[in-house]
Amino acid sequence: MLNLIQNEWMKLWHKKGTWAMVALVILFIIGPGIMMKYYETKTTEDTTWQETEKQAINDYKEIIKSDDLTAEDKTFYEEKIAISEYRLANDVPSQEDGSVESFMSFTSKMLTLVTLFTVIVAASIVSSEFSTGTIKMLLTRPVSRAKVLTSKLLTTFIFGLFLFVVNVVVSALVGLILFGATTGVELEIVNGQVVEKAVWNDLAYHYLLSGGDFVMSILFAFLVGSVFRSSSLAIGLTMFLSFTGGMIVMFLSRYDIVKYIWLTHSDLTQFENGHFIVSGMTMPFSLTILAIYAVIFLVISYMSFMKRDVTA
Amino acid sequence: MTTQPIVQLQNISKTIGGKQLIQQLNIDLFPGQITGFLGPNGAGKTTTIRMMTGLMHPTEGNVIIDGLSLKENYEEAISKVGVIVENPEMYKFMTGYKNLLHFARMHKNVTKERIEEVVKQVGLEKRIHEKVSTYSLGMRQRLGLAQALLHRPKFLILDEPTNGLDPAGIREFRMYLRKIAAEDGVSVFVSSHLLSEIELMCDRVAVIQNGKLIDIRDINVETSSFYYIEATPNNQAAELLQKLDYNFVPENNGYVVEIKKEDIPKLISQFVHEGIQLFAVQPHQKTLEDQFLEMTGGGQIAESNSK
Repeated sequence: MLNLIQNEWMKLWHKKGTWAMVALVILFIIGPGIMMKYYETKTTEDTTWQETEKQAINDYKEIIKSDDLTAEDKTFYEEKIAISEYRLANDVPSQEDGSVESFMSFTSKMLTLVTLFTVIVAASIVSSEFSTGTIKMLLTRPVSRAKVLTSKLLTTFIFGLFLFVVNVVVSALVGLILFGATTGVELEIVNGQVVEKAVWNDLAYHYLLSGGDFVMSILFAFLVGSVFRSSSLAIGLTMFLSFTGGMIVMFLSRYDIVKYIWLTHSDLTQFENGHFIVSGMTMPFSLTILAIYAVIFLVISYMSFMKRDVTA
Repeated sequence: MTTQPIVQLQNISKTIGGKQLIQQLNIDLFPGQITGFLGPNGAGKTTTIRMMTGLMHPTEGNVIIDGLSLKENYEEAISKVGVIVENPEMYKFMTGYKNLLHFARMHKNVTKERIEEVVKQVGLEKRIHEKVSTYSLGMRQRLGLAQALLHRPKFLILDEPTNGLDPAGIREFRMYLRKIAAEDGVSVFVSSHLLSEIELMCDRVAVIQNGKLIDIRDINVETSSFYYIEATPNNQAAELLQKLDYNFVPENNGYVVEIKKEDIPKLISQFVHEGIQLFAVQPHQKTLEDQFLEMTGGGQIAESNSK
């Protein structure tokens, strides 16, 4: 199996597109980083952070005085005030400029790009063998078709993880170089208490939750690519679903069945911000649904690949 | 034939979409023998070859390679087979060497030395580290042969192997196949449209038409001997042949006569005795092409026999 993965890895890196993907992932981190740094240096003002906080407290108090405020908005501003007062009382400055953390939580949005590129690889890793006819060479070897397909699937995931690591490492480096280490402390209110925000934990949690969409998109693209042997169809369909998935779920939301569609669950970052498309979701339930769909996708991929008569 | 067959097709049938492409095919292939596989377009050659290599699954029947069923013992059975199916499609974005390395990794016990050795055998040493996309068709064929030989197969399946080779290349290729068949006892199965090629290369031909095996015979074994005789006056010669009770048919300016070799001098002396002028007496062999056309009835594309 290691040999087979080595083979797939070698073929992958002999394609120029693969290098372009890595370059783009890096570029989409460095580019915004430089832009953020550029605008940041322009807007710096000559006031101490204490003055800024005091100003903010006054502003918020003004807003609360007005009548047309919902209860929700009111608590929001009250919390803001509480945090600012806590800062002044305990001498805890906020993070004014960018920092490694804030930059990394920004670039974690760029993981969509990692998913997109991995989807492209997943969609074409099987279908390209068919379109070039090399599948005949590949399947007349003393290696079962199941092993061939497994090596391709694993290679796709390894490539995805590699791009993820590139994103994290490059973000950290660029963040450190451009913005330096943290100078302030992020605060938030938990159960009426002002506490330090666990920025790194939140970031790690976000990375983990992004994995849901990542895994499901790849498995779906892999399925379409190996069943229909067309990479463009696989990429197109996967992209279409990821763009319109929210809408589809919205349309179906009045029916009960919506709970049993993977699209409702694949964006696990819902659990982070609490904005659910469909209410009443729990993490174990979502994970179970996703796992069931993952197995279905895999079973169909393997069945069709192993049974198929190769006529390419 | 006393030796055990290395490959056996046992009652192979293949039906796709209600159309029976292959019907109950039985072929045995023996070590050291080169078997040609002929048939008009659409007869089922490629389908048969794909079933022998595991690319397609037979609807019925079994392929046995060196005693192992391709269905049940796929990995072990196929490890004894080297394959070139149609044009060898390689990974064009990699060098020839990387391609071979890729396939070598899929077999057990293929060392780097073995790769070098095969590269030398097919005469690609000079260009092996260049990208396959820069190769000519002939060079790709050589690379295709190299990948099929890497693991020292006992059985070699070649579909249109000489397509794109120059005359010298074809000759070299033929010699090479003969050599490995004779020296290593490799059984070779070649399908080709070039009848003259098959004739030069093979010991045996199997002919398939409409998915059925219509003939399998050894080449170069004369069942009965024919001689071409040219003489003037023509009609007098015919009369004489008739009188002597020989079977003959007119061809070109003379006759093709069914006659044993030892009877030739007698016939000649009789011609001379009658005062008929003899211009030529030569052995007459039907070419494979004649035989092929005779067997397949002109070689039209098979009517689809869907039910």
